[in-house]
Amino acid sequence: MNSMGFLFSAYSAIWVILAIYLFSIHSREKKLRSEVERLKKMLESKNHKL
Amino acid sequence: MRAGVLSKIWAVFRKDLLIELRTKDSLNAMLFFGIVVLVVFHFALAGADDSIRSMVPGVLWAAFAFSGTLGLNRIFAVEKENNCLEGLLMVPLDRGVIYVGKMLAVTVFMLVAELIIFVFCLVFFNLTVWKEIPCLALIFFLGTLGFAAAGTLLSAISINTRMRETLLPLILFPVVLPVLVNAVEATNMVLNGVSEGGLKLPLTILSVFTIIFATISYLLFEYVLED
Amino acid sequence: MDQKRQSTFDAILGVLVLVGMIAALYMAFLQAPQEKTMGDLQRIFYFHVPSAMMGILAFSVNFAASLMFVIKKDRRWDNLALSAGEIGVMFISMVLITGPIWAKPVWFVWWTWSPRLTSSLILWMLYVAYLLIRAYVPDPDRRAMVSAVFGIVAFVDAPIVWFSIRWWRDIHPSPMLETGGLSSAMRPAFYACVAAFLVLFLYVIRRRYFLESTRYEVELLERKVGA
Repeated sequence: MNSMGFLFSAYSAIWVILAIYLFSIHSREKKLRSEVERLKKMLESKNHKL
Repeated sequence: MRAGVLSKIWAVFRKDLLIELRTKDSLNAMLFFGIVVLVVFHFALAGADDSIRSMVPGVLWAAFAFSGTLGLNRIFAVEKENNCLEGLLMVPLDRGVIYVGKMLAVTVFMLVAELIIFVFCLVFFNLTVWKEIPCLALIFFLGTLGFAAAGTLLSAISINTRMRETLLPLILFPVVLPVLVNAVEATNMVLNGVSEGGLKLPLTILSVFTIIFATISYLLFEYVLED
Repeated sequence: MDQKRQSTFDAILGVLVLVGMIAALYMAFLQAPQEKTMGDLQRIFYFHVPSAMMGILAFSVNFAASLMFVIKKDRRWDNLALSAGEIGVMFISMVLITGPIWAKPVWFVWWTWSPRLTSSLILWMLYVAYLLIRAYVPDPDRRAMVSAVFGIVAFVDAPIVWFSIRWWRDIHPSPMLETGGLSSAMRPAFYACVAAFLVLFLYVIRRRYFLESTRYEVELLERKVGA
């Protein structure tokens, strides 16, 4: 691998790490958002019962 | 009251020492493991017979560090058994006092183990040291104190996690790396003949490390123990 | 609603990140002059060093947030501390990956125990330890407190680690020196990359903090529902 190859790998590594991290934040967020909605609904139904 | 604080520290310190003197659990384990490490390194470095003397400082402190980790685990594991920690916390003691008492106790345990491990090291690696002893004693003392200063706090942290004792090595070694680096280099300077003036820097760093970490640990110890 | 304003701000920030990174790439590859000894390979520097800087920035934020949590005990500081810690590990991981990729063609080894790379490794281990502690404490409030203590310990330790490693390197010099040299012609590209990374840092930490706030919201809701 000539020096351009190494250069390419280094920059790709940075982009890949960033992408994976941002994507994991995004997917965790979606899951948590739905959790929040679910719990809020549970709380509402609980309050209605009282 | 100044005298009050010191006597409380002494009480905690004495308690740990007495328990250890009665059972000798920690000391035996630390000693044996330290010697095992020396033997392992002999085989690990078998290819380097000529330069073995230059590797002794590193091997020695590796043995001290691994054996010390056992001791650090024990000072709080011993309280976790039989739920002694709750009892200790019920006594009206400033939490920092528990820290100092325990740190001093584990320092003593480590120094005792280190002395014997060192003797074995001299035998295994065919070294003679006489005039180097005062300098070595100082290095061992400062290094051990620094190791214990940080280690006692970290041991209290790890013992309260799900992984318990297993977590300690993972969080301890990155933190005490400066102690190991400086202690090894200082030992190297003494054993392999470097000017005495060169010792000032590592010894200063060791002292600074000890003071900083003893202070932080003293201040933060209560937050680690609340239960 | 606060959330709507926040989303617009984050959207604009996201666009700025994209623009910034493209500009940084342009500066690093096209505007900056070619380096004499290493040629184009040296251009890794423009992303390698800003990553290290952002890692250190993240850990500074973690330190401040940990300190604030110990003082105020407000969980939002813990949310910030965790976010900063995680992002710091991410940036330092980038440093640790690009470092060897840079070293291999230049020095023909994957790893040079150079001060920057070694310190980055220890720093990485320190904050991975931080994340590990968090993983093994089930109770959220205890977890926040214990990891805040360790966050403080880690940050205080870091300069001592760096200093010790640098001193050790002075004693054991190596022909493989890291070129940190920046000619004045290279400065615009470097500053542009640092600026782009700062915007990126801001974006990522906001996203991560928002995620953690959401998790905290879930925790609070679960408590209310359970009650």
